[in-house]
This record gives sequence, C-alpha cells and structure tokens, in this order.
Amino acid sequence: MSKYFSKEKWKYLWYTLSHPMDGFYWIRRKDKGSVPIAILLVVLFSVSFSLNRYLASFVVNDINPLSVDAFTELLGVLLLYTLLCVGNWSVTCLMNGEGRLKDIAIAIGYGMLPMVLTYLPATIISQAVASDEEAFYFMLIGISVAYSFILILIGIMQVHNYTLGKTILTLLITLIAVFIIIFLMLLLLDLLGQVYTFFYSIYTELLFRA
Amino acid sequence: MRHFLKKKSIMVIAFLLAVVTVFPLFAQYANAEELPYDPYAYDYWEDVVHTPAAYTPDRMVIGNDLMLDGESIGAFVTPQDLCKDAEGNVYVADSGNNRIVVLDPTMTEAIRIYDSFDNEGTEDDFSNPTGVCVTERGWLYIADSLHRRIVILEVESGALVSIVENPTSDVLEENYVFTPLKVSVDYADRIYCIAQNMFEGIMVFEADGEFTGFFGTIEVKITLWEKFWRKIATKEERSKSQLFIPTEFTGIDVDEYGFVYATNIDSEGLQAVRRLNPKGEDVIRQGENENVGGDLWIAGATDYSGPSQITDVVYRGKGIYSLLDRRRGRVFTYDHEGNLLYIFGGLGTQEGTFMAPVAIEEVGSQIVVLDSTRAAIFCFESTEYGTLINEAVALRYDGDETLAVEKWRRVLMLNENFELANVGIGKAYLTAGDNEMAMHYLRIGMNREYYSIAFKRYRNDILEENLEYLLTGMMVIVVGYFAYSKYKEKHGKKEGAANE
Repeated sequence: MSKYFSKEKWKYLWYTLSHPMDGFYWIRRKDKGSVPIAILLVVLFSVSFSLNRYLASFVVNDINPLSVDAFTELLGVLLLYTLLCVGNWSVTCLMNGEGRLKDIAIAIGYGMLPMVLTYLPATIISQAVASDEEAFYFMLIGISVAYSFILILIGIMQVHNYTLGKTILTLLITLIAVFIIIFLMLLLLDLLGQVYTFFYSIYTELLFRA
Repeated sequence: MRHFLKKKSIMVIAFLLAVVTVFPLFAQYANAEELPYDPYAYDYWEDVVHTPAAYTPDRMVIGNDLMLDGESIGAFVTPQDLCKDAEGNVYVADSGNNRIVVLDPTMTEAIRIYDSFDNEGTEDDFSNPTGVCVTERGWLYIADSLHRRIVILEVESGALVSIVENPTSDVLEENYVFTPLKVSVDYADRIYCIAQNMFEGIMVFEADGEFTGFFGTIEVKITLWEKFWRKIATKEERSKSQLFIPTEFTGIDVDEYGFVYATNIDSEGLQAVRRLNPKGEDVIRQGENENVGGDLWIAGATDYSGPSQITDVVYRGKGIYSLLDRRRGRVFTYDHEGNLLYIFGGLGTQEGTFMAPVAIEEVGSQIVVLDSTRAAIFCFESTEYGTLINEAVALRYDGDETLAVEKWRRVLMLNENFELANVGIGKAYLTAGDNEMAMHYLRIGMNREYYSIAFKRYRNDILEENLEYLLTGMMVIVVGYFAYSKYKEKHGKKEGAANE
C-alpha cells in the first residue's frame, strides 16, 4: 500500500500538474505514477462534482437539488472512467501506442486534479457572489475544466508517444469504441436476461408439473 | 391498583382511537375530495405540483331547464360559442338549432331568442351560427357560417344593422368561399373574424364591412432537419409529403386596449395564444417557463397525451387571461407576464368536467365553459384561493405591490409553494430593508434577479458590521508574515553560517 501512496508519488502528482509534458513522459518510462492515486482522484472529482451541484449558491446554480444523487453520479463517473480507459487502450493497442492500461488510467485520473482542486473552492466562492459577479465563478470552473482537458490530452499523448494530431484522432476513435463497448454490453445483458428467463421458465414449468 | 391502571390505560387508548377515527369526518375540507378533477400547477422546475382548487364546479346549465315566457326553450344542439354583454347577459350560439339564446346574468332563465331577422322586407334566418359577439354599443355580431356571412343586429330591437359577406380583395382567391367561425369586435367596431381554411391569419373588416386585410399571421416553422429531408427528396416525394401550412386560429378575444388575444393549436405545445397589437405583431410575454401553451407534461402516445389543444381564450381584465384546452379539458390561467396561475377542469361526464369544450367566458366572479357535445354550460365559482390570487395579481398589475403582500400571505397559507406569492412577499421585504427575509422568500420563489439584489445588500451589511475584525485580521496576517520571514531569514543565516 505504501508503495502506491508514498510521499514520492504524491510529490510527483504535483510535479505533473505543473510540468505535464515531462511528468507524463516519465510516468510511462519510469513508473512514477500510481493507479490508486489516479482512482482516488476520480472518486474525489465525483464527490466534489456532486457537492458543487448540490451546494453552489442559488445565484449561480440552476440545478434542481432533488435531482442530485451523489451515489449514482459516482457510479456514472467511475463507469465512464473505466470505459474511456479501456476504450482508449483497445484503440491505441492497434495504433502503435506505447502506453499500458495503467498508464492510460493514470493519465486520465491525474488529469482530473485541476477540477478536484477548484470545484470545492468555487462552491465556497459562489456563496459570496451576486448575479453580476457570477462571471468569476464560471471563469474559475471553466479554466479548471479546460486545464483538465489539456492535461488529459497531453497525458494520452506522452504516454503513447504520439503527435498531437494523432492523439486527437485516437481520442475521437476512442469515443466510437466507447459506444461500441456500450452497445455490446447492452447486447450481452439482454442475451443473459433471455437465457435467465429461459431457465427460469423451465424451472417454473418443472415446479408446476412435479 | 395495577388492575385499575390497566383498565384506565385501555380506556384512554380506546378513547384516542375513537377520536382518531371520528375526528377526520368533521375536519374534512369542503369539496377537496368531491372535486371531479385534480387541481395542479407547474413550478419552476416544470414539475407538477398539486395545489388547492382555484375554481370549483358550481352548476350546469342545460337548455331544457331554461324558461322563456313559461316554456322551456329546448335542449341546445352542438352550441359553439358564448359571450356576454356589459350587463352580464350571456349570449349562446346554439348552432344546431340555428339560433342565438340570451340568458340573464344568473343564467337561470332565457331572456330572448334570436332566430330570425327582417332582411330588407323578407324574413331571414341563420344557418349554423358558430360565433357570437356583443359590443358596448348594443350591436350583436353573429358568424352565420353556412350562410357565409356575418350578421350584425341591434340587440334591443333585433333589427338588422348590416351584413358582412363576400369579402373581395387582391389577396383573396377569385372563388374564395367565406365561412366565418368566430367573431370579435374592438372598441372601434373593427371586426376580427376567424374563417374556415383561412391560414393567412385573422380577417379584419372595418366598421363599414370592408375587408381590409389579414392580421397576426402565424409563421410556419421549418426545422433544419425537415429542410434537409426536403432537399434530398425527389419532386414526386415532395409533392406527396405534407404541406407546411400555418395552423388556423381557434378562438379570439379583445382586451380593453384593443389588443387581440387569439389562440391556435400549437403542435409543440409552446405557444397557443398570441397577444396581437394593432399592427398585428405578437407581444405576449411567456413567463419564466417560456411557455403559454397549456400543459408542460405532454409526453406519450395515447389520445390523452400530446400538447394541449387550446380552443378558446377569455381576457379577464388586469392582464389575466384563461385558455381552454379541449384535449384534456383543462382551463389554464396566466397573468400578464405569462406566469401560470392555476389549472382546473378535466374530461369526463361528471358535473364540472367536459367532453368537447369549445368556448370560455367570465361572467361575474364565475368562469363559464360551453361544452358542445354535452350541450351544456358549466359554471365554476372561484374559491378563496382563486379569489386571492386574482386580487393579488390585479393589484400587482396596477403597481400596488405593497397592497398585494397581504393577499400573497393568505395565498401562502393555502399553498406554501406558490412561487409568485413568495416573490411578492420577498420584494416587499426588500423594499422594507429586511434583506435576510427577502432572500429567504425570493429563494423559494426562484427569482434570481431580486435574490441577487437582496444578497448584495445583505453582504454589504455584513462587511460593514465586521469591518474592524476584518482589518485587524488582515493586519495580524501581514505583520505575522513579515515577522515569520524575518525570523526565517535570521535563522537561515545562522544555519547557513553554521554550514559554512
């Protein structure tokens, strides 16, 4: 455990935040990253996202508090994270990507750090903001999302040793791959359901005849 | 002793049980469970919220019960329209019987029947009169649809004033057949007429009966998607596909400023009523939900789902107007800003529900709805809740927001979630300077604009009150920082010196 959460790894997380090019490069080459920290960041992001939706002040928040459910949102974020990692991995495997699944997981997870860091402060700031000052709040959120996006892009790029153009291309294909995975999952679930109902009807039939 | 206690406690329990079971029988709210429909409204989140009833069914008027000179006038047959005059007499276009029936303001007896008139010496009658309108001048306008004309009579004498027929104009086709359905008249005696198959808009006639043009044309909306399909379709396919024609108007009313309220059936359920200024431009305000089209929950594929089909409108003064929906038999009431006030009514065969509602009017404090299939007029009496809302909205319309507050407070006692009431009270607190209370009410009322104003004042107050603490705190931090850096410098030097 201490191997994954060592002080060194935490320090490297901050280094990656300010030096994404170098940071992600050495994550791939020298195993400087940590998958558990990445997953922890994803979970933290989901929590801060839900908190922001629920607690941001009335002036900036147009979300029905009744529609906020932290647990479903956590499941959704984790599912999306898994899908993106697996999708990207399956695409880049075929496109000369050098990254392993764990590198991709780290790249995407570490990339969420700016959002984790700003969502809670932004929620607190929103409590002191009137409607003509809401631009500050939205700027803060916007910058963090944009920076996260850039981090993930650079992360994927460095981990696979791609050019920028190829990264964007693979990300687009990744999206398609994600849809295909979802489609197959639904298909599988449906088939499993049918198999289950088939055996269940045999069972009830036997029960009635016995 | 113990035995006695036990007995006593059993008796207490029995008494409590009796109270619990019997008491609700006395505490029952009048009508709440006898209503044939569930009154509701939509909130900021466009969710259905149940409300107290604003109007409750009062009674039902059918033709057989109405007496004229000691004789029953007989049942209505597919009546299509009704209106009222300045004294409150109600005029019913009894289309199937080719007559106009006049009822007294209480709608308990018939005063008069118009079924024929003297047309330049010959006796003339009506054929399927579908629209009726009375002006303050005492003229009765009848849309005599199958005779293709609008007949104008004098109310008192029943004598013919004039007949509007065969409109001619460059914009009309040569063989155009004029079939007036609904008619309304403004203060300048201009006639606004909805005619069958006239998609260009409402037909306007000057006081002398001359056709002057169309009014309030509804523009056809074509989505990008439809444009795309028309582009790639062949000529043959295009000719077979549905034509993009605007919807027809269904009902019409004129307010005291001469603005025309006209309803149409909107296929998207977004805007079913227009408020047309004298130039024919739509100036209606659509409220916070951006909707004046009846129901918001319209998903589904049954006969009962889909957008509301608004058939008629009544302008009720002070900016309030009500729409009549024939799909679900509901009456929607909006204020001048387009905020939904209350909804009542429903389909059915009970008293107070409709089968084919066609026309709506306000008579005294009552809203009356004409049902053509059931051939009856349904009267709805306003409840305390409805009256309070009407009065508060009227006061706000006149600019007396402070007077409205007392009404809004009583509305809140009946329905805590009514957003307009919360906003009204919140604004009053804001004017009075109680920013915290203002924030509370404006927050519930979901009014960001005024909430923000209240919040700003509240924030300034807090800053002012705590200015000394803030400044002291900042001083402490600054001094502390300098002291710390000084200390570190000294300490670091020592360390550096030691290292050397």
